[in-house]
Amino acid sequence: MTANIQVARSGGRLWQGLTLQQKQVVWAWGFLAVPILFYGLIRFYPTVEAFVISTTNWNLMNSPSFVGLANFKRLMADPVFWQVFRNTFLYLIIGTPFSLVLAFTIAYHLDRVRFMHGFIRALYFLPFLTTATAMAWVWRWFYQPVPIGLINDVISSLGFSQQPFLRSTTQALPAVLAPAIWAGLGFQVVIFLAGLRAIPTTYYEAARIDGVSDFAILRKITLPLLKPTIIFLVVFSSIGFLRIFDQVYNMTSGDPGGPLNATKPLVLMIYQTAFSSFDMGYAAAQTVVLFLVLLCVSLLQLRLLRDR
Amino acid sequence: MAGIAIEKLVKRYGTTQVVHGIDLTIEDGEFVVFVGPSGCGKSTTLRMIAGLEDINDGTISIGDRIVNRLEPKERNIAMVFQNYAIYPHMSVAENIAFGLYTAKLDKAQKRKRVEEVAEVLGLTPLLERRPSALSGGQRQRVAIGRAMVRDPAVFLFDEPLSNLDAQLRAQMRLEIKRLHQRLGTTIVFVTHDQVEAMTLADRIVVMRDGHILQVGAPMELYEKPADVFTARFIGSPTMNVVPAKATAEAGRSALQLGEAPIAWPAALPEDVLVGVRPQELRVLGQGEGADLVLSGTVAVVEPLGPETFVHVEAEGGLLLASASAKNPPAVGSAVRLGSPASALRLFDAKSERAL
Repeated sequence: MTANIQVARSGGRLWQGLTLQQKQVVWAWGFLAVPILFYGLIRFYPTVEAFVISTTNWNLMNSPSFVGLANFKRLMADPVFWQVFRNTFLYLIIGTPFSLVLAFTIAYHLDRVRFMHGFIRALYFLPFLTTATAMAWVWRWFYQPVPIGLINDVISSLGFSQQPFLRSTTQALPAVLAPAIWAGLGFQVVIFLAGLRAIPTTYYEAARIDGVSDFAILRKITLPLLKPTIIFLVVFSSIGFLRIFDQVYNMTSGDPGGPLNATKPLVLMIYQTAFSSFDMGYAAAQTVVLFLVLLCVSLLQLRLLRDR
Repeated sequence: MAGIAIEKLVKRYGTTQVVHGIDLTIEDGEFVVFVGPSGCGKSTTLRMIAGLEDINDGTISIGDRIVNRLEPKERNIAMVFQNYAIYPHMSVAENIAFGLYTAKLDKAQKRKRVEEVAEVLGLTPLLERRPSALSGGQRQRVAIGRAMVRDPAVFLFDEPLSNLDAQLRAQMRLEIKRLHQRLGTTIVFVTHDQVEAMTLADRIVVMRDGHILQVGAPMELYEKPADVFTARFIGSPTMNVVPAKATAEAGRSALQLGEAPIAWPAALPEDVLVGVRPQELRVLGQGEGADLVLSGTVAVVEPLGPETFVHVEAEGGLLLASASAKNPPAVGSAVRLGSPASALRLFDAKSERAL
């Protein structure tokens, strides 16, 4: 007995003095410390720094000089900013609903397909694994005029006139959005499929016995029970579309942002201001605006979609 | 209200046949319980009656209509599932009203029907609650309510009590039985629990491996089981089954088992199985005798209050017998077990059918 007690106490007096719960807390913080340090240093510190830089004038060479809210005033008066702001929201309000409805429709039907189910799902998921740059350049080629571009080849062989796509101020934005939607589709389909699979089949069987139509089952049972999945995908894809960059940058690389800034999103404007014009203060101010927009949109969506 | 007629019903999954051409007639207003071990085809049969599974061969009629190709909703049935299948995003009232989704009633009439059903099931104070705020028994009542609200010709229950704890199960059993007495609707009930089958059924259908072994009233199955499986499945604790030899001398059959041969009025095959229920195999007192007497050593004693069961190591294997609750034998002591000849049930050792 005495020997056992000696062994048990050998862990050190301080550690032995802690209750079981206190020991768990020590372990928990021990493990959490590494990611907290990493995120603090790599993510949160620069985020806070961006707020500070947004109030300065800094071209990387001189030392930053404090200018107050001058950068934000300049931004409000900049017509390019408002064009970019409009583009960013177009990406959001076209991209999110369109991609989600499309992904849900595919997932809803794919869920009922047994034949080659895994293969078809893999086909939808494949673009998600492909680099955005490679995809953007392939789509760029699709959009070329005759005789190079695939889409125009098809259109003209059917007897219609060619479309300018990326060269048009009205068509460029949807033309850039299409591959962006396509690229994210696989992910959304897979998440929707998982959500659909999680609904017990007896719910559907009970509804069938009650004689409820397929459409009513969809509206009254499937969609309400998919709500957590839908909330996740709405927020996730909204953030994605608000931050759209690589598709646009790569598809319009000769003239980044498209004709008359027709496709330029906020992130591309930030990139150009920071790394072409080296106007760091102004770029940081734009970043702060983007941050606030993302914050507001996400909070708004969570609030609207939350369970009442 | 309607009866059900099943004729030569067959179900196959690919090449595996799970229901082998069963025949059964269920009278209008009857409470029939399908019982059997898992995989015996009882749930599949129920789902074929419901229209949730296709029928490969044979026919099912509800009332006087063959329903093989009818959609579930056209069969005028209602079903209660093991996991209740009540919708978590709807209140109790909405869940019950969902059974009326396609009914041609106006809002007020639907509301009235829901309230009537809630009244019967004692759900009135819970109508505005969400299922997550209900106990297991209350959820099951909501599921029954959703089935009742449509006033169907037949109720189908698919192991509805399996997810409840023992006490609640006994209570819900009582409620379902009273509901049947009150509504008088035909009920087909599937369970693997023989106690549920015995207590609820007008008639029990014992199934195994896709075949019906026996159909009969609960006491009929208990008293005259058609085979060893039914004999062991019905009744608790399980019936003792001991192998024995039968002899015939001068046209008189005798059973060679225990201390002395037992004379038997009917002719017997050479190898038989003798079944005796634990309640009818008693630990004998000093000098007491019986038609069948077996001796052995007490291995385990299980007091249950009104009676005590003892597991006895005997020549035929481990036997379960009953002893007096007041004065049970000690573990390790030698005992003699006795049973009257009238309590013995004989089965053919080869076919396992009753003799």
